[in-house]
Amino acid sequence: MWFFPHGCKGGCNTANEELFKTLSDAVVSCKKDDVIAAVGKAKGKAPAVELIDNGLAAGMNEVGVLFERGKLFLPHVMMAADAMSAGVELLQDELGSSGGASSKLGVIVNGTVEGDVHDIGKAIVSTMLQAAGFEVHDIGRDVPVQNFIDKIKETNADMVGLSALMTTTLQGQKEVIELLKENGLRDKVKVMVGGAPATDAWAKKCGADCYAENASEAVAKAKELLL
Amino acid sequence: MATEYFLRMGDGQKIFMTKEDIRADIEAGSADAADLGDIPALSENEMEHMLDIITSPGRIVGVEPGMEVPVTHDIGAIRIDGDQGNSGVGIPSSRLVGSMIHERAFGADTMELGHIDYSYKPVKPVISQECQTMESCQQNMIIPMLYGAMPNMGLYYTPDGPFENPGDLMKAFKISEAQDSISHAAEHGIRDMTWIMQKLQNVGCDGVNFDTIGAAGDGDMYASLHSIEALRKEFPGIYIEAGMAGELVLGMHGELEYDGTVLAGLWPHQQAPLVAKAGANIFGPVCNTNTSRTSAWNLGRSVTFTKAAVEASTIPCHADMGMGVGGIPMLETPPIDAVTRASKAMVEIAGVDGI
Ligand code: B12
Repeated sequence: MWFFPHGCKGGCNTANEELFKTLSDAVVSCKKDDVIAAVGKAKGKAPAVELIDNGLAAGMNEVGVLFERGKLFLPHVMMAADAMSAGVELLQDELGSSGGASSKLGVIVNGTVEGDVHDIGKAIVSTMLQAAGFEVHDIGRDVPVQNFIDKIKETNADMVGLSALMTTTLQGQKEVIELLKENGLRDKVKVMVGGAPATDAWAKKCGADCYAENASEAVAKAKELLL
Repeated sequence: MATEYFLRMGDGQKIFMTKEDIRADIEAGSADAADLGDIPALSENEMEHMLDIITSPGRIVGVEPGMEVPVTHDIGAIRIDGDQGNSGVGIPSSRLVGSMIHERAFGADTMELGHIDYSYKPVKPVISQECQTMESCQQNMIIPMLYGAMPNMGLYYTPDGPFENPGDLMKAFKISEAQDSISHAAEHGIRDMTWIMQKLQNVGCDGVNFDTIGAAGDGDMYASLHSIEALRKEFPGIYIEAGMAGELVLGMHGELEYDGTVLAGLWPHQQAPLVAKAGANIFGPVCNTNTSRTSAWNLGRSVTFTKAAVEASTIPCHADMGMGVGGIPMLETPPIDAVTRASKAMVEIAGVDGI
């Protein structure tokens, strides 16, 4: 576990659990100030990646559940998303330093497919890949299929990361793969898919090289494929 | 083979089920409402009673003598004339004639005058016409004659109105701008609805029906409650009916409050006390029909929600019973077997005061 200098994957102690809960609650409160304050207090007390995974992202998932149950609504989800992004931003420097990898491991283009504006998870994946030593070109969200191809050509990328958070936009991952083939790039570029509705089975079906469930796994899989 | 009984899916399709399966669906529907609303599920006796109603052999059912409740029709004035797929029957007639037919031939207990657009905003330019028609209805009829329309705050946003569409703003991640737009629209909505009813009250109108409150989310509910409050203050004797658009107040703004209560996310039993507080005489609870579930599941769910609203309400509750609400299937002309069964259950189990 290269990026856990303090060796505590999975939360393990009560103090950490409280820390994670504070972060998670702050996201559920949908208040940016609360999240910033909570991250400020938590920073340095546990690895940044854990603060994100077990704290902020856990809170975001809770927000998703409350949204489905009619307890929170779109403006709240947007505020929570905004707050969470601000929190991740604050941890950016720690993510960078915890990796310790300095050499360039490979070039990765990462983006959320067309029609899908969800980019929090994708941004975390980008950050972690970068922290692990990859050169990452995050081309944003709602990215037209052709833009992936253009960026891959421009940067001579080794891998493309495709994020989709909705069942309706999952197909967009396949479209990028098809266009890679049409452009004669498929053999040169590895494809990694992710996002809540994606699965291992889907990765096989759509012709991707791998699926990763979360950002840490994305790093591990990218290393497997590129190193 | 076990006997199977005829009932419907939420989309109106005819289906047959055993008593055990129907009973299980009633229980599951009730449990769903109890879980979402944090309210009690129906008791064993109530579920048995609902099962009897659903499986009773007649094509239509009715309440026991003495249990009859008043019925009110929205937009009935144009139901006779209406001919564009809006459940009208296309017999040329004026709104006065339509209303009188409801009073004298159909036995309606109250009636309302409505405009073909059925929203408050477009009534403004034709207010004189509405006042004149209201006056002639009042002169020809005995039953209480209300004026009814939808708050329909959607009409205040682009492309239909002056304020930037909060949906578009949200998409651009402009959260506070979207909220401001909703607040501005709400202020205009309050002003318009109140002004329209001031005019109509001056020609002898008996009251107002705020129909489908909350259709455009919490801003819509906010505007309606404030308009009700203003009208109650100005016209102490005005009869105000406040009917909802759906079971849950959607949070388009998310933070609007009335009397210290956040409006987003309120279920019928939480809406009722606020509506009463604002000054309404009648609350119209709504429960939405799920088209991919059976009428047993939908009725179990609807009656559970409505019963909790009736218990929480300090004013009479007239349940909204029509296509796609109150456990009735979502069909343009809802099947009478389902309508009568759902109505009987609402009166006898949920204890509604009217429909
Ligand atoms: C936050 C959120 C939003 C925010 C997004 C803000 C932003 N900047 O991203 C806003 C409010 C804008 C939003 C909008 C909408 N949303 Co939304 N949203 C969510 C929510 C609650 C959380 C998503 C999130 O950020 N999770 C936290 C992050 C950290 O996790 P993650 O995204 O899953 O990412 C992790 C992994 O998936 C993986 N991963 C992600 N990307 C990648 C990429 C690669 C390459 C790899 C390897 C891994 C990987 O690693 C990440 C880190 O661990 C989810 C519900 C949920 N619980 O997932 C709904 C959800 C995804 N949204 C949904 C919907 C329907 C919408 C809207 C259509 C709502 C509407 N009616 O307008 C719009 C979509 C508009 C559009 N065209 O895209 C649905 C989708 C349903 C479906 N059919 O699939 C969900 C599931 C909610 C629901 N149940 O209704 N949403």
